[in-house]
Parts: sequence; structure tokens; C-alpha cells
Amino acid sequence: MTDVTAFPRTSIRRIDPTSSAAQARVRRRYRAESRFRAYGIAALLITTVFVVVVLADIFVKGLPAFIQHSLVLDVAIPADAFGPQRSVEEIKGADYFPITRDALKAAIPGIEGRTAERTLTRLLSTGAADVIRDRLVANPALIGTTIKAPLLLSSGADLYLKGLGTKITSQVARGIATPSAQTGEVTFLTSANDFADAYVGIKRILAKRAKERRDEADRLERSGSTTVADRIAQLRSEADQFQARHDAPKGEEELDADMPSLLVAIDGGLVKVSKLTDVSAVGEALLPLSSAAEAAPGTWRIVTYLTPESSRKITDQEVAFLERFRELGDVSRDFNWRFFSAGDSREPELAGIRGALVGTAMTLFVTLILCLPIGVFAAVYLEEFAPKNRLTQIIEVNINNLAAVPSIVFGLLGLAVFLNFFNLHRSAPLVGGLVLALLVLPTIIIASRAALKAVPPSIKEAALGVGASHQQAVFHHVLPLALPGIMTGTIIGMAHALGETAPLLMIGMIAFIVDVPTGLTDAATVLPVQIYLWSDLPEVGFQAKTAGTIIVLLMFLFVMNGAAIWLRRRFERRW
Amino acid sequence: MDMAVQRTLQDATSIDPSLPKAIKVSGRDVNAYYGEKHALKHVNVDIPDKGVMAFIGPSGCGKSTFLRCINRMNDTIPSCRVTGKILIDNQDIYRPSLDVVQLRARVGMVFQKPKPFPKSVFENIAYAPRIHGLARSKTDLEEIVVTSLKRAGLFEEVKDRLHDPGTGLSGGQQQRLCIARAISVAPDIILMDEPCSALDPIATARIEELMEELRNSYTIVIVTHSMQQAARVSQRTAFFHLGTLVEEGSTEMIFNSPKDQRTQDYITGRIG
Repeated sequence: MTDVTAFPRTSIRRIDPTSSAAQARVRRRYRAESRFRAYGIAALLITTVFVVVVLADIFVKGLPAFIQHSLVLDVAIPADAFGPQRSVEEIKGADYFPITRDALKAAIPGIEGRTAERTLTRLLSTGAADVIRDRLVANPALIGTTIKAPLLLSSGADLYLKGLGTKITSQVARGIATPSAQTGEVTFLTSANDFADAYVGIKRILAKRAKERRDEADRLERSGSTTVADRIAQLRSEADQFQARHDAPKGEEELDADMPSLLVAIDGGLVKVSKLTDVSAVGEALLPLSSAAEAAPGTWRIVTYLTPESSRKITDQEVAFLERFRELGDVSRDFNWRFFSAGDSREPELAGIRGALVGTAMTLFVTLILCLPIGVFAAVYLEEFAPKNRLTQIIEVNINNLAAVPSIVFGLLGLAVFLNFFNLHRSAPLVGGLVLALLVLPTIIIASRAALKAVPPSIKEAALGVGASHQQAVFHHVLPLALPGIMTGTIIGMAHALGETAPLLMIGMIAFIVDVPTGLTDAATVLPVQIYLWSDLPEVGFQAKTAGTIIVLLMFLFVMNGAAIWLRRRFERRW
Repeated sequence: MDMAVQRTLQDATSIDPSLPKAIKVSGRDVNAYYGEKHALKHVNVDIPDKGVMAFIGPSGCGKSTFLRCINRMNDTIPSCRVTGKILIDNQDIYRPSLDVVQLRARVGMVFQKPKPFPKSVFENIAYAPRIHGLARSKTDLEEIVVTSLKRAGLFEEVKDRLHDPGTGLSGGQQQRLCIARAISVAPDIILMDEPCSALDPIATARIEELMEELRNSYTIVIVTHSMQQAARVSQRTAFFHLGTLVEEGSTEMIFNSPKDQRTQDYITGRIG
């Protein structure tokens, strides 16, 4: 026997591609691969859906913030409203309320009663007269003339015109209607049963209310609780009342605020119906009728505001006024420049993000001029010059830890150190910038060190080889090559700072600040804090502002991240 | 330096009396450690002025380490420690008063992989003269660049693209650019660490021709894995093995009649 036979025969097996085991293995591998690909695609899809939903939601909610409606009216400027000198102070100090009120009244003649008048003037923003004042200051010769001016609408009116009010349906009537008066309470009789549909609708609502109350009473009874006995009795009696009204034969029915509003547009006026039968109606004139003449079939209409008055922010009277202005063509719809040119305000239609934008720019400026040099030089020193000993190791670990410290802790640190110890100004961009610099510094140091590390050591070696000193090699060769990476890291750090809110709350940048800051120590706020502030407000008008500000902030972030990518592409060098 | 003076200065140390020329570099009991690892053990060697000296030996034998001791490139490795003396023109380069930057200007280096700076051809060469203040004017600098390129035998090939990136040249051209860069500061000694190992045979031949021309003006020390290359380009050869200098002598002697068995084995391909 030779030595060869001593080798075990099965020491290395050959792959048999035709064997079923091998084929099963291949199939398993293919399955695993396609499974992995499916996971990847699914993850991507889910992320995309989330991003798209979030962005779509923000844009749908935020885009209305960039539109503002105003009333373009002829405004008569009476000379006696101003002092004799017509100086700038006089023009600025004049009372503009009567001027805008008279302009409104002139646009819709025949409005009587203080309530209607007040409703009319409330359609305008409290800042509506600003445009007139500015124009008069620029040109006092306009006093005593009539000018055409866009008067800013209040937030509620603006929202209504943006479609956040009620749906309106209108139906041409078939009978001949005879109104009893032009203003005040008006009674109609119609020759056809024009109000029958509305009447049936009311009966239906009554039946529904009765059923709802009965069901609720039954539910409470079943629960067996004795403490609600009063409530059950009350529900039952209400249900009976509604049922009785429903069952009553053709009598007069009353409308209330929980039902869709029914109006009659007749003879150039608009009457809000409060009681009706199928052939008659009684109501209050919201817009005065031009005459009390008989209206022929087809010349008058029955208008319904489908959303009940109680479940919308705007009254029937206001809707009536706005619809009238819209018919007159006085409503203008413009890009909302004020959003970018005004500071914060308590009135949604007057509020803008100028203050927050300037505050953000100043804060980031402070952050950048502190962070970039300190961060880059710290990184260069640590990476290239520092002796590798225990101390530098501790520093390195701590820098990495700092990057993970919750940002609110930096805010508290800023509060304790910059405000309480150094007595810097509260809410100032300077302090905000300092705090954000603390926050961003570790990020920049880490990114810069990574960029420096990524430069091949051969470059430094080659420089040393021709007699460059260590410092020359680093600053002439390594740093320029690391610069794109450092820039990218810095921009991403700054983008991080741009979106940061929590630490700024701690140092008082959350205050309500109307004025646009002019210096680093002025009180200011920043975009994310502005978003936070507005999101907290109950007015519907601020919801759109909030989303609009988010859009602006996101644009900033996109631009900054785009700049980071561009810089990397532009200055990336191959070696 | 006067040859006779140099010889008398070195009488104190044991120098092979058969040495044909003045000694440029001499190592005296050089030890190098990478942390705990004793990489270079008691090396004594003399490198004559002008001409090519080749270091051969299997991987990890310490030849590159010794080469990098000559211009103190090992200083950049934190864990590396060197003891003993290395004398250039009879001056210890490890003495505390020596400025390592000036040393490296006198002892140029060419690396295994061609590593031009990611700058233009012109800037690659102009960099070193500029930081050492060798050019008084712009024309001066241009002259240095052109002369260096001509000496490196690259000028004709790149004269039209002096301002194109040096990294855009071919591998062989890049290595000659690195040689031009090394000689731009007029060093006495050029260290070459396997300069041809990343090049094809044609580029290698071109570099070898260049070394043939340069050896009249410079002391060249080359580390190579190719024994044929050592035989072709060098006048003297040193064989390193496991951190020790086994044998040193004229190239002819080393390749034809080595004294040591290990040298014999290496040259005939039995070890390494």
C-alpha cells in the first residue's frame, strides 16, 4: 500500500450541479436574494409614502398662507380728517377707521343698524388702513380725493374666500314672490310651493334629532346608572318635542342655527329666513332689497348655506357681505408679500415671518463664524498634531458623546452660562448662536475629522518626502483635499442648527416679538420657534401660517443640503 | 566635500578599505523598533557617494525600514523608534539640533506607488522649491520646473500639458513626475522605495534608464524586489534578511559569488 491511499477519499467533495441538493441550494439562494430585494423596495416605498404624505399635507395646508385676499374699494379721503399742516405725524396719527368704514358702506349701500354695520367693518383687518396711510405719507396731495386701495381682509373673511366656509347651493324659484318690506323683517308669499323642499328638509332634521335623543336616552337607561335619571328625562322630553313638531300638520316651522341656513335672494337683496311654511317665509334682510316689488318666477332664488351657522366660523351676515363683494368684483387675490415683509402679530392676516427669518439668519451667522474655525482647527489639531495619549483619547470620546447630548441640555447650559453668568441679553440671536454653536461644534469636528482621515496618507507622505514640514503638509495638501467633506459636514451641521427649537426655548427666544431684529442683541425669534408658537394658537388663520412657515423652513433646508451636495461634487478631487 | 578629509574623518569607524569611493551615508549599529517588534537589528552599512545602491531581501526583512531611516520618514510613525547612528556626510542625522525638514530637502524620496499631488504637473514640481525658497522669481521657478522635468526625462511628453492635473498622466509618467519632484530641490541623495513595482515593464525600463543617467549626479538608494532590476541598475547591493544586514558588496560580487549561504539561497530563489 502506498501513502496516497491514506488520504481520506472524502476530504474535498466536488460540487455536483445536477444534484437535487445543489439545485435546492441555488433556489434557496435566489429566493433569499429576491426576498432581500423585496424588503428593500418595501422599505423604500413605505418611506416614500410617508414623505409624500407629509409633504402633501404641509403643502396643502401651507400654500393658502401665501395667498391673501383684500377688498379693492374706492376710498374717499376727506380733508377734514387730518390736521391743517398735513405733516407726516398728522397723517400717521389720523383716525382711519371712519374712512374705511365709509368706503365699505359706500360699496354696499343701504346697510342699516349698528349690528350689521359692525359686522361689515369687522370684515376688514385692523391693519387694513395701513396701505392708505402709507400712500398718504408718500403723497399728501391725495388728501381730499378718492383713491382705489386694496384693503386687507380679516383672517376669517380671507379664510372664507379661500373656501374654508360653507358650500352654497342656489335654486331658481318658480312662483311669484311678494316681499313685504325692503329692510328689517321681511315676509314673503309665493304663488308656488317654492319652500316645500326646505320645509320637508326641516321636518327630516326634526325627526332625526328626536331619534338621536331617544337612542341616547335608551343607551343611558341600559347602562343602568341612576345618576343620569334627570338627563334621561330631559332627553325624552326633548325627543317628544321634536317628534311633536315633526308630526304636526303643515304649520309654520322655525329654523335654528344648527340647520343649514336658508336665504332668499330677491330684488337685489338677501333675506335670511327664520320661519317658513311651504308657500311663505319670514326673515331678516341681510342685504337690503332695492324695492318691495313682486318678483317674477325665475328672477329670484332660494339660496342655501349648507354648513349650519353654528358649525362655521363665519356668520350668515358675513357670508352675505362677502358674496356681495365677490359679485361686485371688489375682491382681489394676491401673493401674500406681507408674509415675508411683516413681523409677528396677534392678527393672523397681519403676521409675517420677516422677524423669524432675520433672527434665523443672525443666529446662524453667529453659529457659523464660531463653529467653522473652532471646529475645523480642533479637528485638524486632533487628527494631525495631537499626541495620541490618554488625554486626547478622553477628549475624543467626550466630543463623540457631546454630539449625542439632547439639545435641551445645551439650552439649559446656555441659560446658566450665557444669561445668568455673563448676563447677555435674553432672546438675543447672539446667545442663540452661541448655544447652537455648542450644539453643532461636535458634529463639525466629527465630520471634519472623518474628512481629514479620508485623505490618503500617501499625499502627506509625499509632501513630507519633498521636505515640507508637518504643518505645511497638512495645510497645503491634506486640508484642501478634506475641505469638501468639511464643508458638507458644516452645512449639514448648520441645517441641524436651523431646525433646532428646544435649546432656544430655554434662552427665551420663544417670546412674542413683533419687531424685526436689527442687531445681534435685539430680541428675536427663529423659524422653528415661530412654527412652534403659531402651531399653539387657536385661530384657524395661524394654522395655514404654521404650515407656510414650515414650507419656508423646508425650502431653506433643501437649499442648504443641495449646496452641500453641489460643493461635494464641485470640489471633489480624485487621487 | 573633500574626499580625503572625509576618509580621514571616518577612520575611526571600520570601513572596508577596498571601498572605491567616498562614503555618503553610513549606518552604525542602527536598530529600529515598531512598538515591541525589533524590525532592524544592528545594521552597519556604508553607501558610497554617487551611484546606485540596491537593497534586496524578502518582504519584511527591514530594507524599507532602513531606507526610511535615511530621511527620517519613520518619525511620522508614532510607534517607531530608531537607535544607533546614521551619518550623512559624516553628520549624524538623528542629532537633536538637526532640522528634519532640511534633511528631507537633501534626501529626496520616491515611493512605491506614484503619488503626485492632485494638482497640475507644474505645481507638483514647483511646490517644493517654493516652500524652500529656492526660486527668486517666477521665471526662476519655471526654469527649475523645466530643468527637473528634463532631467526626469518627462519634459518632452508633458510640455504641452504642464497645467493639466498630474494625476491624469500614465503610471510611468506619474512616477517620473515624482522623480522630477524629488530632484526639484537638488537633493544629494534620492531614496527609491520599490519605484517600479506598480509599473509595467516598459515604464520600468524607462525609469531604469533614468536612474542610469541620474547616478552620475546623485546618490541613489533603491529598494527592490526584483533581483534582475538590482543587477541591472545598481553598482552595490545589500542583502537584508529578518532585520539584519546579511551581506553587502559590489553587485557583481553579491550576484556571482555571495559569501553567505542565505544570500546564495535568496538569489537562487530558495528563500524569500
